[in-house]
Amino acid sequence: MAADTRSETAATERFEDVDWNDVGGLGFTRRTLALGVSSLAYAVAVLYDVFLTEDALISGTNWLFLLTLLAGVFFVAWPLADNRRLTAYYWRRFKKNRAAVISAIYLLVVFVLGTFGPMLIAKPELNVLAAYQPPVFLSVDSSVPTSCVGQAAEGLCHGTWKYPLGTTSDGKGIARLVVFGMRVSMQVGLITMLIVISIGTVVGTSAAYFSGLVDELLMRYVDIQQTFPTFFLFLIVTYLFKPSLFLLITIFGFLGWGGIARLVRSEALQRREESYIQAAENAGASDGWIIRRHLMPNVSNTVITAATLLIPSFILFEATFAFLGLTDPSTPSWGQVISSGRGDLDSAWWIATIPGVFLFFTVLAFNFVGDALRDALDPRSEGDA
Amino acid sequence: MSMHWYVARRVAWAVIATYLILSITFGLLAVAPGDGQTAFAFKAATQGGDVDEAQETFDEITGRDEPLLTRYKNYMVNMATLNWGWSFTRNQPVLDAIAQAYPYSLMYALPATLISIIAGYAIGLYSATHQYTLTDYFGTFTAFFGISIPNFWFGIMLILVFAVDLGWLPSYYQTGRGVWTVANAKQLILPIIVLSTGAIAGNMRYSRAEALEYVHADFVKTARAKGADDWRVLVRHIFRPALVPLMTILVADILGLLFAGAYITEVVFQIPGLGLLSYKAIIQQDTALVMATTLIPVFIAIIGNLVQDIAYTVLDPRISYGDR
Amino acid sequence: MTDPLLSVRDLHVQFNTDEGTVRAVDGVSFDVARGETVCVVGESGSGKTVACESITKLIPMPPGEIAGGEILFDGEDLTEASEKRLEDIRGGRIAHVFQNPQSALNPVYPVGAQIVEAIRLHRDVSKEAARDRAIDLLDRVGIPEATARIDDYPHEFSGGMKQRVVIAMALAADPDLLIADEPTTALDVTIQAQILRLLRDLQDEFGMSIVFVTHDLGVVAEIADRVVVMYSGKVMETGPVYDVFEQPSHPYTKALLGCLPGQGKSMEPIGGTLPDPKNPPAGCRFHPRCPHATTDCRTGDHPELLDVGTDHEAACVYYGPGYDASVIRGDAVSESTAADGGSEGGTPGDASKSGGDDR
Repeated sequence: MAADTRSETAATERFEDVDWNDVGGLGFTRRTLALGVSSLAYAVAVLYDVFLTEDALISGTNWLFLLTLLAGVFFVAWPLADNRRLTAYYWRRFKKNRAAVISAIYLLVVFVLGTFGPMLIAKPELNVLAAYQPPVFLSVDSSVPTSCVGQAAEGLCHGTWKYPLGTTSDGKGIARLVVFGMRVSMQVGLITMLIVISIGTVVGTSAAYFSGLVDELLMRYVDIQQTFPTFFLFLIVTYLFKPSLFLLITIFGFLGWGGIARLVRSEALQRREESYIQAAENAGASDGWIIRRHLMPNVSNTVITAATLLIPSFILFEATFAFLGLTDPSTPSWGQVISSGRGDLDSAWWIATIPGVFLFFTVLAFNFVGDALRDALDPRSEGDA
Repeated sequence: MSMHWYVARRVAWAVIATYLILSITFGLLAVAPGDGQTAFAFKAATQGGDVDEAQETFDEITGRDEPLLTRYKNYMVNMATLNWGWSFTRNQPVLDAIAQAYPYSLMYALPATLISIIAGYAIGLYSATHQYTLTDYFGTFTAFFGISIPNFWFGIMLILVFAVDLGWLPSYYQTGRGVWTVANAKQLILPIIVLSTGAIAGNMRYSRAEALEYVHADFVKTARAKGADDWRVLVRHIFRPALVPLMTILVADILGLLFAGAYITEVVFQIPGLGLLSYKAIIQQDTALVMATTLIPVFIAIIGNLVQDIAYTVLDPRISYGDR
Repeated sequence: MTDPLLSVRDLHVQFNTDEGTVRAVDGVSFDVARGETVCVVGESGSGKTVACESITKLIPMPPGEIAGGEILFDGEDLTEASEKRLEDIRGGRIAHVFQNPQSALNPVYPVGAQIVEAIRLHRDVSKEAARDRAIDLLDRVGIPEATARIDDYPHEFSGGMKQRVVIAMALAADPDLLIADEPTTALDVTIQAQILRLLRDLQDEFGMSIVFVTHDLGVVAEIADRVVVMYSGKVMETGPVYDVFEQPSHPYTKALLGCLPGQGKSMEPIGGTLPDPKNPPAGCRFHPRCPHATTDCRTGDHPELLDVGTDHEAACVYYGPGYDASVIRGDAVSESTAADGGSEGGTPGDASKSGGDDR
C-alpha cells in the first residue's frame, strides 16, 4: 500500500512529515505484488507451453518479447507513473529536442503496429498473379507485372489500394511485409536490450561491489568477449547451426552486454566514492539499501541511455543478416525484402526501397531518442545540454 | 612497472585470447550438427555414391572418427602452422584463396579508412570548435544520417540512382579492369562511399565529443592566453590530447565498421574480396574457408586491440602501467 | 594619475544564449597604472572574470560579444584590434594566470615544452635558448631543481607547484600586465600565502602591473594597491585599498566587509542572492538586498559612480544631491541586520565563501 500513498504525498508533504517507514518500508508495495503475480503467471504459462502442449503455442521469441514487455511495464512505465514529478521533469527536458519527440511518436507507431499488427492481419501470401504491383498512386510499365491488379491504361500499370506499397516478385504485399518486419525489428531491438541490460547490470555491479578476484575474473572475461567481433561470431554460429531469430537475439544478447557491464562497473565505482553514498553510510544505511536507493537510480539512467543507443545496432545487425539470407527465411523481415528486390532494381525499384526507408527511419529514430534521453536523463548534465 | 613489462604482459594476454577463441571455435565445430557433411553427402549422392559411405569418407577426411582430444591437438597444430585446410569449392588451399581475395578488399577498404579518419576527424574538430553554428548543426545531422543508414540498403540505393537511373557508374564490380585504371577507380567509387559513410559519421561524433571536452578546458584557454593562434590551439592543444581517447574508437571503428561493413559492401557490389569469399563459402558450405575467413578478422581485432593499448600508453603520459 | 597602462571604459560584454541575453559586464570602467596592483572583487557571477577575460578577448565568441565600450591598453583600443594583433598581445604584453592550476596545463606535454612554447611564440630565440630561459623562470618561481624537473609532466607536480609553473609560463615573454584570475582560490591556505608573496616579489622584479581577480577580501588587503568592487556586472565602488577598507562607501562593500572575519564585529551574511543576469532589477542592482534602499533606488538606471573621496568613487544615490551620505558612511552594520530579516526573504548565503566558476 505504500506505493500509492507515496505518489500522492511526496509532492505536497513537508520533509519532516514524511513517514519514512512508508517510503521505503519493507512491506510489499503494490508494484512488487503485481510483479510477483505476473512473473508467476508468466512462468506457469511458459512451462505449460513448453511441456504440456504438442507444438509450442507461442514461439520462443514471442515469449521473450512478452517478458520484455512485462519488464517494460514494471520497471519503466510503472515507476514513471509513480514519480509524476520526476517524469514531468524528464519530459520537459526531453521535449526540448523536437526531432526526438517526432522520433518517439514514430517509434510508438512502429511498436504498436509491430506488436499488434501481425495478430490482426494475415501473413503475406505468395501470389504469382499479383507480382510486381507498384505502390498506390504510382505506375509502372505494363510489361513489369505479370498481370496488373489495379488499373491498366496506356501501357502503364497503376498501383491499387489492395497493395498500398506494391508487391514483391512473388506477389507478397509490401505493406504487410513492412508490418511484420516492424515486429521483427522491435523484437530484436527490445529483447536484446533487456538481456543486455540485465546481464550487464548484474555483472557490472557485482564486479564493482565484490571487487578483488571476482572483479578481475569478470572484467577479464568481458575483455575477451569485447575483442571477439559479434558479427563474425554470429556468422560462424549461423553457419554451424540452423539460423533463427531466437538464435540471433540470444547471441547478440548474451555477447553484447560487455560494454554495459564496463559502464555500470565504472559508474558504480565512481558513485561509491561520492559524498551522498558516504552520507547514507554514516546515517546507518545497509549495503543493500545503498545499492538499491542510491547506487541503482544513479546508474540506471546511464544504463538506459547506453542501451537505447545499442538498439539501433541490433536492428541493423538483424537486417544485415536477413539481407545476407542468413536468418530464418520464414520470418518476414525488412532486410529480407530488400534483398529480394535487389535483382529488380531497374524494373521494380520499390521492393528494395520501401522497407529500407522504414529500416532507416527506425534506426534514425532510435538514435535521436537515445541522444535526447542522454541529455534528459543524465543527472549530471544539469541545466543546458 | 616498466613499459616493457607492460607491453610483454599485453602481448601474452593477446596470445591467451587467441588461444581461447580458437578453442571456442573448435568447440562449436565439434558440437555443430551440420558442418559441411550435408554438402559432402549431397555431393556424393548426386554423383551416384552411397550416402553412408560418403559419411564415413567425410569423417575420415576431417578426422571426425578420432578421439576429441587428438582432433583438438591436430586442430591447434594446424592453426598454429598456418595449415588451414583445403577449400573444396575452389579446389585450392584456403590460404591461397585468401591471398587472391584480399587485394580486392584493400583496394577500396584502404581509401575508405583514410577518408573516414581524415574527413571524420576534420569535421568533428571543426564542429567542436564552431559549436552551435549552422555548420555544426549540419555536421551533427549528417552524422545521424551516417550512423543510421543501413549500409547494404545505402549501397543498393546508390546503385539504383547512379547506375540504374543515371548510368554514370557500373552497378557491380568486374575483375580484369586492372588496378590503377580509370575503369577500376569508377567501379570503386560507390563501394568507398558506402563503406566510409558510416565510419565518417562515427569518427565525427566521437572526435566532436572528445574535442568538446577540451575546447572549453582551462589549458586551452591558457594556450590562447599565451598568444597561440587558432590553428596551433586546435592542433597542439585540442587535437593532441583528444587523440588519446580517439585511438580507442579508431581500432574499434576500423575493425567493427570496416570489417563488417566490407562484408556487406562486397556482397552488394560483388567485389571478389575476403567478404564475398567468406559469404560464398557459407552459402556453399565450405567449412574450412568459412572458418579461415571469419577467424582472420577476429585475429586482426585482437592485434588491433593490442596495438591500441600500446599506443595509448605511448600517447598518454598519465597512464600507469600497473593494474591493467 | 597620468596615462594608465590599461584603461577599461564603459565595457559591455554579453552572452547571447537560447534563454536570453546575459549582460555579464554592463558598463564597467577602471584604470590600471603602471606597476600597480588592482584587485577586482566580487561574488561569483558578478562578471569580474568575464571583464578580465574580455580584455584580450579570451571569452568564447560566440556566444560572447563585446557590445560596447573600449579597452585602451597602452593607448591602443583592444576591442578594435585584429585577431593577429591580439595574439601578439596575449602572452607577449598581457599574460593570464587562471584559477585552477590542476587543469591549466596541458596534460600531454612536459611543463618545459609548454613554457618554451610561450617563449617562442613571442621571442625569436632558438629552442635551446628558450629552454634555458624556461629553466631560469622555473627557478625564479621557486621550483626546486628546475633543470631536473623541466621535462616532467604536469601530473607529476602538486597543485601549488603547478600554479608556479603557470606563473612562470605567464612571465615567459616579460609581460607589462599580468591578469591573475583567482590564482590562489584552489590552493591550500599556506600555499596561497606563498603564491601571493611570489607574485609580489615578481612584480617588484619585473615591474609589471597586476590585475588580481578575487572574491577573498583577505587577499585584497594583502596585495592590492587599488580595489574595484563589482556586483552583477556593474562597478559598485572603486578606490585605493586603504580608503575602501577604512571607509567603505557603498552598502554592498560594507556588507562584503561585514562578511570578513576578524573585524571586531560579528560576521554578517548578506541576505538574498545575486540578481538574475538575464533580467537584472531596475534601478540599483543591489537594491533588493540593500538595507538602505529608497524609491529612487528601485527605478531608473543603475546609479553613476560618484566621488566620495580622493580617487575614490561609489555608485550609490546617497552621495548624490538630496541624500545624507552619513547614513551609509556611519556605522550601519547593525541596522542592516535589522532590515535583513524583513527584506526579500531569499536564502542567506555567505558571499565570501561561494567559490566556483564565475560564468
